Amino acid sequence: MTTTIIWTIAILTVLGGLLAVILFLVAKRFKVEEDPRIDEVEKVMPGANCGGCGFAGCRAFAQSCVEAGNLDSNFCPVGGNDTMKKVAEVLGLEVKEKAPMTAVVRCNGSCENRPVINDYDGLKSCRVKAALYSGDTGCPFGCLGCGDCVAACQFGALSMDTGTGLPVVDQDKCTACGACVKACPKAVIELRNKGPRNMRVFVSCVNKDKGAVARKACKAACIGCGKCAKVCTHEAITVENNVAYIDFTKCKLCKKCVAECPTGAIHAVNFPVIKPKPAPTAAPAATPAPAPVAEPVKKEE
Amino acid sequence: MKTFRIGGVHPNDSKISRNCAIEVLPLPQTVYISMAQHLGAPAKPVVAVGDRVKTGQVIAEPGGFISAFVHSSVTGTVKSIGPRKDLAGNNMTHVEILVEPDEWAEGIDLSDTLVTEIPSDRQFILDRIKNNGVVGLGGATFPAHVKLNPPPGKTAECLILNGAECEPYLTSDNRIMIEQSSRIIIGAAIMKQVLGGCRTVIGIEENKPEAIKAMSDALAELGKCGAAYSGIEVMVLKKKYPQGGEKQLIDAVMGRQVKSMGLPIDVGAVVQNVATSLAVYDAVQKNMPLITNTMTVTGNCLPADRQHNYLFRIGFPLSFVAEQAGGVPQEVSKIISGGPMMGKAVANLDACTVKGSSSLLYMTAEQTVRKQETNCIRCAKCADACPMGLEPFLLNKLARNGMYDALEENGVHDCIECGCCLYTCPANIPLLDTIRLAKGDVIKIIRSRAPKK
Amino acid sequence: MNKLIVSPSPHIHSKTSTSSLMRDVVIAMLPAVLVSVLFYGWAELEVLLVSVVSCVGLEYLITRFMLKRPNTICDWSAAVTGVLLALNVPSTCPWWIIFTGAVIAIGVAKLTFGGLGQNLFNPAITARVFLLISFPTQMTAWSAPKAGLSLSQVISHAWTGTDFGPDAFTGATPLGLAKEGGSVHMDYLNSLFFNIGGSVGEISALALILGFAYLLVRRVIRPHITLSIWATVIIFSGIFWLINPDKFTDPVFNMLTGGMLLGSIFMATDYVTSPMSPKGGIVFGVGIGLLTMIIRYFGSYPEGMSFSILIMNATVPLLNGWFKSKKFGRA
Repeated sequence: MTTTIIWTIAILTVLGGLLAVILFLVAKRFKVEEDPRIDEVEKVMPGANCGGCGFAGCRAFAQSCVEAGNLDSNFCPVGGNDTMKKVAEVLGLEVKEKAPMTAVVRCNGSCENRPVINDYDGLKSCRVKAALYSGDTGCPFGCLGCGDCVAACQFGALSMDTGTGLPVVDQDKCTACGACVKACPKAVIELRNKGPRNMRVFVSCVNKDKGAVARKACKAACIGCGKCAKVCTHEAITVENNVAYIDFTKCKLCKKCVAECPTGAIHAVNFPVIKPKPAPTAAPAATPAPAPVAEPVKKEE
Repeated sequence: MKTFRIGGVHPNDSKISRNCAIEVLPLPQTVYISMAQHLGAPAKPVVAVGDRVKTGQVIAEPGGFISAFVHSSVTGTVKSIGPRKDLAGNNMTHVEILVEPDEWAEGIDLSDTLVTEIPSDRQFILDRIKNNGVVGLGGATFPAHVKLNPPPGKTAECLILNGAECEPYLTSDNRIMIEQSSRIIIGAAIMKQVLGGCRTVIGIEENKPEAIKAMSDALAELGKCGAAYSGIEVMVLKKKYPQGGEKQLIDAVMGRQVKSMGLPIDVGAVVQNVATSLAVYDAVQKNMPLITNTMTVTGNCLPADRQHNYLFRIGFPLSFVAEQAGGVPQEVSKIISGGPMMGKAVANLDACTVKGSSSLLYMTAEQTVRKQETNCIRCAKCADACPMGLEPFLLNKLARNGMYDALEENGVHDCIECGCCLYTCPANIPLLDTIRLAKGDVIKIIRSRAPKK
Repeated sequence: MNKLIVSPSPHIHSKTSTSSLMRDVVIAMLPAVLVSVLFYGWAELEVLLVSVVSCVGLEYLITRFMLKRPNTICDWSAAVTGVLLALNVPSTCPWWIIFTGAVIAIGVAKLTFGGLGQNLFNPAITARVFLLISFPTQMTAWSAPKAGLSLSQVISHAWTGTDFGPDAFTGATPLGLAKEGGSVHMDYLNSLFFNIGGSVGEISALALILGFAYLLVRRVIRPHITLSIWATVIIFSGIFWLINPDKFTDPVFNMLTGGMLLGSIFMATDYVTSPMSPKGGIVFGVGIGLLTMIIRYFGSYPEGMSFSILIMNATVPLLNGWFKSKKFGRA
């Protein structure tokens, strides 16, 4: 009995030792030589592995940064400038600051503005719906409302507003990784400058139909009238294919276009309230609203 | 009786309008002729606003190698050229023409005489087919002259005329085979001549006995007219969906299976629909452009006297066709252009008829609304039904997870989108919705990789 | 005209649904159920009732209150499990054992894996094996009439008393007797119709085959799995029986006794736990047949059907990967 126990212990100990030696040798023999800085860079990365930078994951990004020797073409949208500064520190490189971005839903086709004219009865997926037809409203360009963007967001920054049927971006959570932009088959979502104190002005419509057609399909559609472009003193607005676009690098947030737009398709969000208004819906000053797109400043016509 | 070897389903054929003779639709006040009536690049308009056009005059030229001519279906003035919503609600360039009484373009033989003599010049035939805008009318609307001109090194051994009409409800092919049998057979003989006199088989499903008889009789009659009509036979096929699928039909008739990503001509086959054959006859023997086709207006909710088979011209608003047929019944909640298995649901009834229009099929909510999706019970009924021998349950799962390598390995690109899997699934899983998307993605991946190899 | 519905093709759907398929399985089991009720009377009705009610009830309670999902009792799958479980226990089985079986079948084997379609093992088989190991006495004690009683006597006993009275004897199943080396004399022709001794679902081969025919006619199942099990059992036992008829039981005996028919028709063919392709099904069936005969001839249990189905269930994902249906246009 005792001998059995002793033998067991002895054999297992020897076996364990032997295997440890083998493992040690194998690890030594097959060690992959990597630049140790890759590990260091990876440590300062957010670790979301979202792919927003265009690489397969944070490690691939780190590897690219180390190999490229400069940070001109690499940017981590999730970590933003802070992370890039840390990366630059680790590698002893220069980094240019980039303005923080956020996802913006450029569709104002809520159930109220854009009546549903047929019923969709397939898989609840924007891609399937887009491949089938123009959508259940008269607007063939706008949001399809099946929430592919919500499913694509890894950060929980998108949600569907059941009232409007449109996705809402939580800009505190949004990292501008661009997954929703890729997921949207209608290219409704755009990454835009976050703006000073989150204030920004954008055209909340991508309808390329002619004015009358667009207006018929959606009350809040951009009709391509060009009034905003005329009133803009910074040449930030272009009208192409019957739809206006505001270049956020040129926009000075003067909001003249917002006042000019006949359909209220141009949204200004997170601006402090200047005049007291009867409507209590205006966004509070300076603090970022949780649902900026859902609260357009429409009353300013 | 011959049939394809793998899978298939047996939906109720519901050929309610099978005995309704073809009626000619009157002209509406305005027609809108789409520039995308065929597979491939949209045609380019060659008329301008304010031009007066005659019936049968060319109004648009091919926009690429795989494209087709489009002709005016009416006489009148071009009112506008611009975007208009097609039946899926997407914008497409249409030519709007205000209709006046018919005045036919020159060179079109409007007489009723049956021309049985077949031109011997191959190029002449191909040019006529091309210039008269003939496209395949079996569903895909692939330009006919491209298909009838096999690439060098490949020869056609068998021309198959598709008269299977395996989709439930549709009866337009059935009617033309009964009413226009001689012209269809002459069209077949013309195509046979172009392809170098190969064997020609007219495949008809067993549920159309009148059509089988009419075609056999006409064939016997025409057989006396010369050698051009020898080697053509009528083959009765089993009633099984999708018997009229191109690959399935070749398998049934010739016992050969087209390889994955291959073309029918690879196994020596050319398949044309019977309606295409009719269009070929008109184009070659009468120089008549393809501006008419036959469509069925049917549905279980319509009484027997309101089932119709119509001869329409391209560019008629669907709402006009529906009105001529007595209006859309109150209980209808889905209108399908095409058959119930592969047809497109109409999102916009103001859309217009195109060369390939084959039906307005009315469905009630009860007949068509999808049921709640439940768990897959792994019954493998989808795999049994798939005529391509795929495993839809697996493809669906892979597609939902975006596993493209595995999707390709399991042959998602072979899917013919026949709908058998979704039709048969007891758990109502939208198999084809996800598979169709994945198929598109995988084909794109395969094509993007091809030049590198 | 209503607002138009737009959806991807196809626009029609076959009438087959999960619930209609499951209902067909229940209908196919009815002959066997009727025969068992006829022969075991009130006791059997009680077994059935307890089993079905506890299976369906548990499915409802667990999905509703523990998983908080839409309840799935309308798909009839819990009812199928309930009837199968009832056919898998002796009529003398106390209600709490049956209830335990239902907990194992529905709670453990089915819903822990995610419900219908997700379970790796057949719920009824899992429950049967669990009960067989946990309560061997109750699960293998069969109340059976003495030899020599007429059919009408057996039936009247069943309905007038809970016991067969002075004529009754509680004994082992024919398979059990064979295992112990006792000589077994079975009237095969008779046992085709009724063969007392075994689980209640194992009484009448004819009733089970009738159910099989119904399932085939209604195209609920493919015959591959069942037939390959039968072929394997007949060939395997045939060879051994020809070599040594004294030691090994004959093929007909093996086909008619134990859970062979019940298992091969209703349990091995369960959609969820059997391979998808016909080829995979044949391999699956051969595996079950071989394992059953090996257990019967060389194992310590007299009956091997439930164990072998359970073992082969575990190989299904592998078989699905190995045996695919033939693709169009590929050699």
